[in-house]
Amino acid sequence: MALDTLGGEDWFLHLAPALVMIATALALFGVDALDPDSTNHRAVFGVTLAGTLAALGSAIALLFGMGPELGTTLFSDQLVADEASLLFTLIVTSVTSLVVLGSYDYLEDLPDKGEFYSLLLLAATGMVLMAHANSLATVFVALELASLPSYALVSFLTDNRGSVEGGLKYFLIGALSSAVFVYGISLVYAATGSLLLSDVGTAVTEGVDQTGVLGLGVLLMVAGFGFKIASVPFHFWAPDAYEGAPAPISGFVSSASKAAGFLIAFRVFTTAFPLGAMQDAGIDWVFVFGVLAVLTMLLGNLAAATQDEVKRMLAYSSIAHAGYVLIALAALKSGGAHNDWVLAGGMLHLFVYGFMNTGAFLFVALAEHWDVGRTFEDYAGLGEEAPVASAAVTVLLFSLAGLPVGGGFWSKFMLFGGAIQNGFWWFAAIGLAASALSLFYYWRLIRALWIDQPTDGGHELDGTPTGLYVAVLVAALVTVGLLVGVGPVAEVAFDAAGNLVG
Amino acid sequence: MTVPVEWYLVLSAAVFCIGIFGILTRRNALIFLISVELMLNAANINLVAFSHFYGNATGQVFALFTIGLAAAEVAIGIGIILVLTRNFGEADVTLPTEMRW
Repeated sequence: MALDTLGGEDWFLHLAPALVMIATALALFGVDALDPDSTNHRAVFGVTLAGTLAALGSAIALLFGMGPELGTTLFSDQLVADEASLLFTLIVTSVTSLVVLGSYDYLEDLPDKGEFYSLLLLAATGMVLMAHANSLATVFVALELASLPSYALVSFLTDNRGSVEGGLKYFLIGALSSAVFVYGISLVYAATGSLLLSDVGTAVTEGVDQTGVLGLGVLLMVAGFGFKIASVPFHFWAPDAYEGAPAPISGFVSSASKAAGFLIAFRVFTTAFPLGAMQDAGIDWVFVFGVLAVLTMLLGNLAAATQDEVKRMLAYSSIAHAGYVLIALAALKSGGAHNDWVLAGGMLHLFVYGFMNTGAFLFVALAEHWDVGRTFEDYAGLGEEAPVASAAVTVLLFSLAGLPVGGGFWSKFMLFGGAIQNGFWWFAAIGLAASALSLFYYWRLIRALWIDQPTDGGHELDGTPTGLYVAVLVAALVTVGLLVGVGPVAEVAFDAAGNLVG
Repeated sequence: MTVPVEWYLVLSAAVFCIGIFGILTRRNALIFLISVELMLNAANINLVAFSHFYGNATGQVFALFTIGLAAAEVAIGIGIILVLTRNFGEADVTLPTEMRW
């Protein structure tokens, strides 16, 4: 059988971003295997960046309709290519490009650079495939392809006890959550007899004999998702993993991996477990996500407000943001008129968040590069010494809080507005209160940067890490650009959400 | 005489719970890994049993994928446990407490 008929028409064009990244990763492995001792950092970095930028470019080209028509399934319905998958491919490839840019200076004195980049690319490939997955089997395989390299990346600094500890916790909890997740999948299969999302959806709508088995399966899958997106009460690995990991990897895992996990949750729960039929069967997953959303927003923000270390504050802030996005699932209503609005708000927030959060973590990477220190006090006075980067991160932090200086304002506006219109005003109220609280801890960092005086006479900032600077600046510029130019992205998000709940 | 398919559900639930019990009570990282393997195999029992029940091959094929992924997971896990022992002297999951909660 020819490849073309096996995969479906033009499958290699639909999957071009993923294929480019796989090819780059394998090329890096090959080069590294031939000559393991002398890594030419510049060449390895150049190839990686070219690969991720090519993937990003092909995703943009596909999104603007320069490729085959969207809305088709590939490989006998195992994968799907639609607006949602492209939007999230765009998120993953942009975050990966920023992280690669930032890693150049970060990796300067570390061994195994080739392995670092190829693991990064393989994890990104897994995340892109997560965006395309259309059956529980491909969901699980893609999830593992994204997770396994991430474990290795988090514990990449093998002599640093923090990194190893973070990696161990991430791995143990990740392995546990995969097991729980796949057990949930097996129960859903036991109840419905299929792994394809659309077939599971049909079976559920027609009625399932063993509702208890299905319900338990769904609950276990929610728990699995909860671990992957670091939602309270499944979050406890996240602060340690994000704090211990190399800062660019913290940004990568907390933005790209979270976005891909959320898209899977969106797709699985809207397609395979249609809300009306599930509520008739007594399995109200919207309620479960509502509880998770409220808990995650409140605990994430409260914990972030009590931190003394910048990186750990950002880790908890990323947990809090998972809470906001969970509203996108919690505020869905069977037959609700504004379901697409809510879901599009969640997708848009993940898009903007990808830039805001990665930029903020790359600023921490910049500080680690300069040996500034870890606490808020250590950052005092950086505003005068590195005004450009500090200005960029100030914009990013305000946008994270939802102030109208960046795209974060619009995404929160859509998310909370959609929740109100669907009749869930309390989610919007809690979200707003949580955002107000978040302004407090983001302001602590901004105050340290610009207002506080350094205690021990300032820092010595040697070297100009160009890659990190460029990455932080690009992230800030895109965030600001999204304040005025959010239209096209929101349109794609609406199309994507309409396909899922429309 | 064929075994009713519900019994397989009971068996897999038992294996899954043994895995959870192991994770909650043991401190050695390797035992933790073995417990996770038990939980994954509980899922495999379900998949294969219901694949036979429904008469389609989906579950069996997915079980093969799960087995492969479990092996890959262990490979990464052993690597991380190796650097853990190098840094902390033991493969005890309660030892690393550099960071507070």
